[in-house]
Amino acid sequence: MNHLNLNCTKGQLKNGLEYILYQDKSIPLVSVNIWYKVGSAYETKGKTGLAHLFEHMMFQGSENVAKEMHFRFIQEAGGTLNGSTSTDRTNYYEKLPSNYLELALWLESDRMGYFLPSLTQEKLDNQKDVVKNERLERYDNQPYGLAWELINTNLYPEDHPYSWSTIGFLKDIENYTLDDVKNFFKKYYSPNNACLVIAGDFENNNAIELIENHFGSIKPFEANHKPDSEKIILSKNKFIEHKDNVQLERIYLAWPSDLIFGKDDSSLEVAADILTGSKNSRLYKKLVFDLQIAQDVTAFQYSGKFGGQFMIISTARPGTNLDELKMIILEEVNALALKEVSDKELEKSRNGIKAQFISAMQNLDTIADYLNHYNYHLNEPNSFEFDLARYNEVNKNSLQTAVKSYLTKPFVELHIIPKEAEND
Amino acid sequence: MIDRKNKPEAKSEINFKLPKANEILLENGLRVVFIHKDKLPLVRLNLVLNAGSKFDPENKKGLAHLTSLVLDEGADGLNALELSDEFDILGSSFNVSTDNDLINLSLQCISENFDRSLELFSKILLKPLLSEDDFNREKKKLITRIMQSKDEPEYLADQIFDRVILGKFDNYSYPVSGYEETVNSISLKEIKNYYKRFFSPFNSALIVVGDLNQGELVVLLNKYLSEWNTIKGDIPISFKSSEPLKKIYFYHKQDSVQTEIRAGHITEKRNNKDFFQRYLLNTILGGQFTSRINLNLRERNGFTYGATSRFQYYKDSAFFEVSTSVGSENTINAVKEILFELDKIKDGITLEELEFAKSSITKKFPLNFETYRQIASGVAGRILFDLPDNYFDTYIQNILSVSKSEVDETAGKFIMTDKLAIVLVGDKNTLLKKLSALPIDMVEVDLFGNVI
Repeated sequence: MNHLNLNCTKGQLKNGLEYILYQDKSIPLVSVNIWYKVGSAYETKGKTGLAHLFEHMMFQGSENVAKEMHFRFIQEAGGTLNGSTSTDRTNYYEKLPSNYLELALWLESDRMGYFLPSLTQEKLDNQKDVVKNERLERYDNQPYGLAWELINTNLYPEDHPYSWSTIGFLKDIENYTLDDVKNFFKKYYSPNNACLVIAGDFENNNAIELIENHFGSIKPFEANHKPDSEKIILSKNKFIEHKDNVQLERIYLAWPSDLIFGKDDSSLEVAADILTGSKNSRLYKKLVFDLQIAQDVTAFQYSGKFGGQFMIISTARPGTNLDELKMIILEEVNALALKEVSDKELEKSRNGIKAQFISAMQNLDTIADYLNHYNYHLNEPNSFEFDLARYNEVNKNSLQTAVKSYLTKPFVELHIIPKEAEND
Repeated sequence: MIDRKNKPEAKSEINFKLPKANEILLENGLRVVFIHKDKLPLVRLNLVLNAGSKFDPENKKGLAHLTSLVLDEGADGLNALELSDEFDILGSSFNVSTDNDLINLSLQCISENFDRSLELFSKILLKPLLSEDDFNREKKKLITRIMQSKDEPEYLADQIFDRVILGKFDNYSYPVSGYEETVNSISLKEIKNYYKRFFSPFNSALIVVGDLNQGELVVLLNKYLSEWNTIKGDIPISFKSSEPLKKIYFYHKQDSVQTEIRAGHITEKRNNKDFFQRYLLNTILGGQFTSRINLNLRERNGFTYGATSRFQYYKDSAFFEVSTSVGSENTINAVKEILFELDKIKDGITLEELEFAKSSITKKFPLNFETYRQIASGVAGRILFDLPDNYFDTYIQNILSVSKSEVDETAGKFIMTDKLAIVLVGDKNTLLKKLSALPIDMVEVDLFGNVI
């Protein structure tokens, strides 16, 4: 399938900045996408959320770009832009009419090379407030909003970098100083710790010249800091109960699992799909369709560079006991470990995944981000076919082995229950 | 070395060609809009039915939505699970969604599976099973979903705001999902009647974007949809919006650490007048990250993660709305700043702001036509509002020709600070006393927007 074989050019500047170029001239747009090899996993206890706060600060201007002007210039050019922080990396991206490619490169290079001179206490205080509100809006004031944090603090060892959430603890957010932000930049935001992707309608020669002109003079520094990540071993089941302002009880089961692109990673993803990915998937059919004791059920494999977790989440219908859901969920998980899945189940999953890959090729931002993703983890941006093959190679055996290796072991169990139940 | 001080300008003009849309009328009366796109081996298909929740009868709110939920639970000899498996094995995704105006059936598949996927699609459209068991299950699921939405502050604020500003005589003021009580009273017979009444080629339009040729498409559409030919008739409906006075409507949500804020009023319908003027006005006021409201509430004051404003257009109704959520302690100041910005924009905009907004909107135009789905949605919008065939061809010119004085006049006319309804969803124990600091009358409301 040649739609997934993307002919890229990869290169590197003298200061260590990697770049990847992918031409697609079907529409006069261009995506610029930078990954910095730092995410919340690189933080330390007491300074959680710093990588994400830092991402906010990167939109507050740089030496030649005043506050608000980064957004303003891109929007004036008809572009869209954003950034995001995960456990493993931070990305920044813009998509704009292709004649404005240089504008995006100028903005990205200015904040990569000339960020610190424009940093002020006032900007930091403002963005600390914004991030605190982001945390309130997306976690604290959301039903079930604290689940992820509660699970990860229990699933991972105390000092494991996945044990805190990307947004960070409120107390930590409040305590960041200007020095924290400066030091974070000096530790991680070096050109040799980043990779720039340009995808869309442009000429390679011109793009390489522009990259050289804008990024070439940025001085690199030592940015080779890796987080400590011990192996995750959960010796026995853990149970947590949390009361929240919710109408319905919800159960979360979390198992330590394989790393991203690990041997069992894709098998576990297919297992999740077979359990809950469609109307006729095993758990959905049983809990939601036949017995009608759950409102929803979802399973997924979440894997990163330093850890992985397999999750199953289900919301109980009024009157259903969470232990009843748990029993059926574990029965179905065990069934996957004991007995081979059917050909039809495998074929459904494979075909669905293949269609998702092709569908993802519609959007330049998505393509650019994937190129960075593959380059970061596999050192080869053009890995779409390789990645799809991982799923096609999942077979009855590998799936059964993966389920046995991870999902028959101890897990973390979280119940979120309505506050009203307190008086029972 | 390059000059870092000044931003680089555009190098040349881009050459953007609008995708070409062909109109086809099938023999059964169905209007089809086809756009050929062969970048990828994909086909995207959207069938829009003029059957949204605005047609829900009194005491049966949620009928359109529930109909759409039961619709794909089996068809033409396939039960719900078999039907779902058939799509899955093809890797095709089928979806039904409902909003106030439309029910939208969408299909996306790899081109080589289009024939079989369209056949399945047609089974759902023409011969849905609509069985008692499936109905009961979906109804129970929807009622539970509505119950869950009581946990969600954004949902509650939207639901109360719609009801407060549009009033109970406007069918657009009710939630698409209905209420627990109204959904509970819906029978399978009513679902079947709704289906019969609204699912007809004369009441819908089909949009196809994809990697196939028109001749091929017409043959397949005739093959699978020719039997679809039901009643042709007008579906009458009336709307009467009320006009609330300036007031705060407060809903108590225990233990909230934020307050959801909605502030706005009804406005002229989309096609009545001044659409482009209002679009530019809102881009300056609150439509973008760099708009006045967000720069004030977020970037200057740090009250919120984000604040926006919009003109929400339905086919037969419309409103203007500012929305944000703020830390509880900033509720009063945030309301004050919103009022300040709304008053201030009535004093006029600057020429610089207008040029910025025009530049942003016109240059962004090509970004709206990147994915198959975007192209299909664009056409769906044009159909919903009966916009002319050349709407997209004249779009940029229409934006560019708006003058500053026109936008100023629009702000004066369409931002009605004296008619502003302000909905707050937060914890009354921390807020209620402090709110008396605002010189605006306040009432407490329930989930439905009724004063208590």
